[in-house]
Amino acid sequence: MSSAPIATLVGLGFGVVLVRRRSLATLLVAAQSLLLGIGALSLAGGDGGGLALAGGILVVRALALPGLLALARRRTPEPALVAPSTTVLVRLLIASAVALAAIAAVPPLGVADRAAEHGAVALLCLGIATVVTRRPALLQAIGILVAENGVYLLAVSVPGGLPAVVELGVLFDLALVLTVAAAFTQKIHERVGSGDTDLLRGLRD
Amino acid sequence: MIDTALVVAMLAVPLGAGGLGLLAPSGRVADRLNLAAAGLTAALALALAAIALLAAPGEAPSGSWYVLDPAAGVFLALIGLVGFSSAALSPAYLRHAGRSWFGERRSHVTYYAAFNLFWAALLALPLARNLALAWLLVEATTAASALLVAFSGKRSALEAGWKYVVLTTLGLAVALLGILVLFVAAGGGGLSTLDWSALTQGAGGLPADTALAAFVLIMVGLAAKIGWAPVHNWLPDAHSEAPPPVSALLSAALLPTVLLIAWRTKLALAPAVGQTAIRELFLGFGLLSLAIAVPFLWRPLPWKRLLAYSSLEHMGILALGIGFGTPLAIAGVLVHLAGHGVAKALGFYAAVPLLRQEPEAVSAPARGIARASAPTAGAMSLSLISLAGLPPSPLFVSELMILLGGMDAGLLAVSAVAAVLLALGFLGLAHALIEGLLGEAGAAARRPRPRSARAVALLAGVAAAVLLALTVTAYWLPGSDVVQALLGGAA
Repeated sequence: MSSAPIATLVGLGFGVVLVRRRSLATLLVAAQSLLLGIGALSLAGGDGGGLALAGGILVVRALALPGLLALARRRTPEPALVAPSTTVLVRLLIASAVALAAIAAVPPLGVADRAAEHGAVALLCLGIATVVTRRPALLQAIGILVAENGVYLLAVSVPGGLPAVVELGVLFDLALVLTVAAAFTQKIHERVGSGDTDLLRGLRD
Repeated sequence: MIDTALVVAMLAVPLGAGGLGLLAPSGRVADRLNLAAAGLTAALALALAAIALLAAPGEAPSGSWYVLDPAAGVFLALIGLVGFSSAALSPAYLRHAGRSWFGERRSHVTYYAAFNLFWAALLALPLARNLALAWLLVEATTAASALLVAFSGKRSALEAGWKYVVLTTLGLAVALLGILVLFVAAGGGGLSTLDWSALTQGAGGLPADTALAAFVLIMVGLAAKIGWAPVHNWLPDAHSEAPPPVSALLSAALLPTVLLIAWRTKLALAPAVGQTAIRELFLGFGLLSLAIAVPFLWRPLPWKRLLAYSSLEHMGILALGIGFGTPLAIAGVLVHLAGHGVAKALGFYAAVPLLRQEPEAVSAPARGIARASAPTAGAMSLSLISLAGLPPSPLFVSELMILLGGMDAGLLAVSAVAAVLLALGFLGLAHALIEGLLGEAGAAARRPRPRSARAVALLAGVAAAVLLALTVTAYWLPGSDVVQALLGGAA
């Protein structure tokens, strides 16, 4: 994958960290998954099996999973936007610092495409930063998908690709975890009247 | 051939029971169906464990995706026994659980579906002969166990379950990145590239820097699931909020089994990464986990939360033993795994009658249990005395073996620090036990003793016998074929 789409993927990851609306964050992560899926399709070349696999993964990652998150959002209406715990600027600084530090710290990973390595590490960090800096449960679930997209970026960049059973297994596990995360989002909303995870801070020693 | 059939049956029975249970017309039917299936599953697991442990050295039975080496045997026996005990005690918990996340009518069947899915994934995990497959199974445990952690549907349970899902999933994403790096470094190709045996054979040819980066990513990622400090934040919450039979599975089976994957990765990559880096990482996780856990053992914590911090402590000890890596320390690790599993599971089982008789113990330290219920007090005492490492507990012997193993490896300072921390932990747990047993009994003393206290007393009797047997076994274990096999990795 060339540098421009990778930069776009990272840009969309930053968008998830920064935007306030859950609907917009869902759209951004869907666009990220779609772009990644298109990249995987192009890297699959003329291999019929590879194309079918990449196509199937694209449908799940770019349509089904964001659809699931969108459904969870519709079922957990917020009367007002959950106030962010930090300002946009602070979130931007934290996300940038973490991503840049990780890129600098991680040695060459051995995948031929160095830009893909940097992009993968950056997306993983942006996913983690989203979980740490955002309060709504749904945004934290979206952070998980951003982090997993980072891993998938590296996976599609592996020369010769990954074994199909691993790709499908990872996809199945991701779908399972996000389904559980969506169920939690709804239950938390039902229980505390909001998806704000800051309202769940009762367990302390 | 016979082992393949047994493996398939061992996994199919709980999965089938979980699915079939969803159709159960009543909670009572679901209870019986689950207990019967659990008995069969445990019997199959023990049969496979025997096959694994009795196989000639270097000739572990294996199939396309599994290997029955001695490590798999030890873990199958542990997971099978703890899983069966948890299944047997689940009806006692569910009888009074009331309204859960899933509503009263569906709570039994949903609980058993998630329980069996979780147990099946746990049973498959030590058998996995491949790193990628092991990762998939570890991740598969998350979804089912998270629903179980939040089963009560209480606000605190939702918090614990959510924290567990998010932290462990992110950790496993980091581990997956490491596995990808390792896959590329090993030359790519098919799934078999990540077989433990292939990794061991090819490790010498891996670039050292890349292998180290992959190893660190995998370990840091798995640490989040094992519950090693500093990525342990979910552990005390999940263990204290889950239903007690599930807490037992989490602590006695899940944490050590994921630790086995870390151990197997260490053994496979040691030639590429080097013993020094590996040892530093394991010892770092071990000492930090001990240092963070011990102060909490001195605090007046609710019973299950105390046990949760004790799990952090014991995962730290196991990390130290694996990090030392000497035959004596590895023998100690084996005894410790089994002893901790039995004693910790019993402690969580004791929480079923305890919380029934003294609901306040959910959020406050238990008090005066000896006056309120002798059977419950007996089980709690046996659990805590064993976990604290008081002789003749097998954990006393195993901790001694691990510390002596560390000295044997020339790591006197690490062993000394660990010994001090263990002594402090012992005192903390002893204090908690005395307060819990002999303190002033509250309203609990006036409430009737729950029926589950008898079941827990029976389990305590069995646990006492197993723990004593482990203590005896510990003297025989160093130098045995099982330890030799564990020093050499998976077959």
